Amino acid sequence: MPDLILSGVSKSFGSTRAVETTDLTFAEGQLTALLGPSGCGKTTLLRMLAGLENPTRGTIRLGHEDITDLPAHKRKFGMVFQSFALFPHYTVRENVAYSLIIGGTAKPEALEKAQTLLDTVQLSSFGDRRIGELSGGQRQRVAIARALAQEPKVFLLDEPMSALDAKLREEMQVELRLLQQRLGITTIVVTHDQREAMTMADTIVVMSNGRVEQVAPPKQIYHRPANSFVADFIGKANFFDGVYSDGSVQIGKLALDISANFAAGSPVRLAIRPESICLVTEPGQNCIDAEISFVRDLGPVKEYHLRSDIGPMIAEHAGTDGMDLMAGEKTLVHLPADTLRVYPQTAA
Amino acid sequence: MTVSENIQIAAERSPALVRRISPKTVLYAALSTLVVVFCIVPFILVIVISFGRKVDGAGWVWDLTFDNYQRFFVGVLWPDEVTFLYLQQLGNSFYFAVIASVLAVLTALPFTLLLTRLKRSAQAIWLVFILASLSMSEVFIVMGWDILLSNNSGLPKLFQVTGFTQWLKDVGWFQTLRDIGLANPRNVKFKPSGFATILTMSYLVWPYAVILLYPAFSRLDPSLAEAARTMGANRWTVIRTVTLPAIRLPLMGTTLLLFVFLLGSYVSVSVFATPDKQTTAVAIYSNIRGSNLDAPFGSAQAVILLISASVCLCFGHLLNSKAEAR
Repeated sequence: MPDLILSGVSKSFGSTRAVETTDLTFAEGQLTALLGPSGCGKTTLLRMLAGLENPTRGTIRLGHEDITDLPAHKRKFGMVFQSFALFPHYTVRENVAYSLIIGGTAKPEALEKAQTLLDTVQLSSFGDRRIGELSGGQRQRVAIARALAQEPKVFLLDEPMSALDAKLREEMQVELRLLQQRLGITTIVVTHDQREAMTMADTIVVMSNGRVEQVAPPKQIYHRPANSFVADFIGKANFFDGVYSDGSVQIGKLALDISANFAAGSPVRLAIRPESICLVTEPGQNCIDAEISFVRDLGPVKEYHLRSDIGPMIAEHAGTDGMDLMAGEKTLVHLPADTLRVYPQTAA
Repeated sequence: MTVSENIQIAAERSPALVRRISPKTVLYAALSTLVVVFCIVPFILVIVISFGRKVDGAGWVWDLTFDNYQRFFVGVLWPDEVTFLYLQQLGNSFYFAVIASVLAVLTALPFTLLLTRLKRSAQAIWLVFILASLSMSEVFIVMGWDILLSNNSGLPKLFQVTGFTQWLKDVGWFQTLRDIGLANPRNVKFKPSGFATILTMSYLVWPYAVILLYPAFSRLDPSLAEAARTMGANRWTVIRTVTLPAIRLPLMGTTLLLFVFLLGSYVSVSVFATPDKQTTAVAIYSNIRGSNLDAPFGSAQAVILLISASVCLCFGHLLNSKAEAR
């Protein structure tokens, strides 16, 4: 199946700009996550892909075919809605067979295929049940089976896990990813949960205020965030504002060496992940004094809340590293230069 | 000893009794009495009177006779002759009520669907307008339609003046109108006719249809229709396979409610219907307050109309229950 390509696509509702001009390519057979906070335009973007909203500008192509003005019912894109949107007046099997029946497949044949799909999503014995008799997880599986019944060219999911509890959500993330890999279908998932995106996606598109902030694989998004918004939104990060000068950033009276170049005197923002901060005993490069203000033992990790001359910060250490510092104790904090990300402050 | 002293002594002797008769209890008792006096007693009176007997040249007397019910089903001349005049009137009641209620719901359906797609502020304006129209009485509405459809000053006159009637004659449709009783040799005419009766009755309950359907439509999850569209359904298929089945129960409920309401419609029928299409409601009025002065028979007709409406409601409820169970 060909790539899905957005060229210069934007969407406005009256005077409100929901999606800024966007160029994106959703690679064939890959799972892409549209990730961002509420109201960032990710669902609007997905709805434009589905044909439920018309772009204000730009074109959407499926390979060489321009589908910008193609109505939703002619696109053959399967979609799972946040509310699942299952038809309460049909049984589970009839829901799954819906697209086939209205597409002209004979009812017995459609119901038979629906049963096969129910087997795929492990709901073999639920075909005759009403939607109201299903749990949240079962409903989600029915919605997935229903969307896949028409053998869609592209599979779209709008926050499919948001109605599930935490444990079930994690199970379904893995299941959905395995299913997608097995079918090899181009899939786009909207989510505001970075953990969900990291678990499932080949590529993550981070969005904010209708803009695409970064498009990259999950690892790169986490370790090399393009700007301080991405660094802040994906995982946890400590931020420090300073001024660049000759290979280091001056923060108050302290200077931290960095491995990036800026114009001398540029205001910059440093970002570092909590797990990159080391609590050490020997002084060295980028080591500063700090006092522990609070310790949070989370089991697998310990979280140290620190006060220092460059500002407050949080450090995370594996709970099994034998370190047992208490609140009120003084320590040395090492901020390795290669883990410090530096961004111009204007982009922050 | 004064009254207040007596109450005080009684209260001291039986404090539990005083505690039990709280102001809340008094209020409930008063409200219950009002309901019984103004709602249940009139019903009981109608039922009791229906077993009474008319006295020729006078009023009626209490009795326990089934003659009135017998007369309703087989006519006054039974056993010498059987007539179904009153059953026919009941049939007319059903005929008008069914068609008018279905017509009102069918026309209110797309309107309400469009209404729920408007902005909230626009919806509010429309709803206020529709609610305001409910304040108009049946008499007022029928008077308006009477003028609108009158042969000398309403639409027929307008059709004649503008040449529309002549155009209908030229294209050959005038004869069709004559065949269905909506034209005389010279011009179109709307009254008296079943058409005008049904139109007015539908108009009368149309705002109720919108108000009753509105909550169901506004609760309808728009993603259901969107999901159907992404699965290849065009707009008509979405309406047929998703929207209508999803609101089937409110739709049936609304139709049934309007039907029962229209069973008792009086003014529209008496103004627009032809004499052979008069309904039970009109006959009841003639018997109780009109020229016949036969309150027992009028009451029997009212009881039968009430039972018919109840049977319809029960039947509708049964259908709803079955549909829900499915």
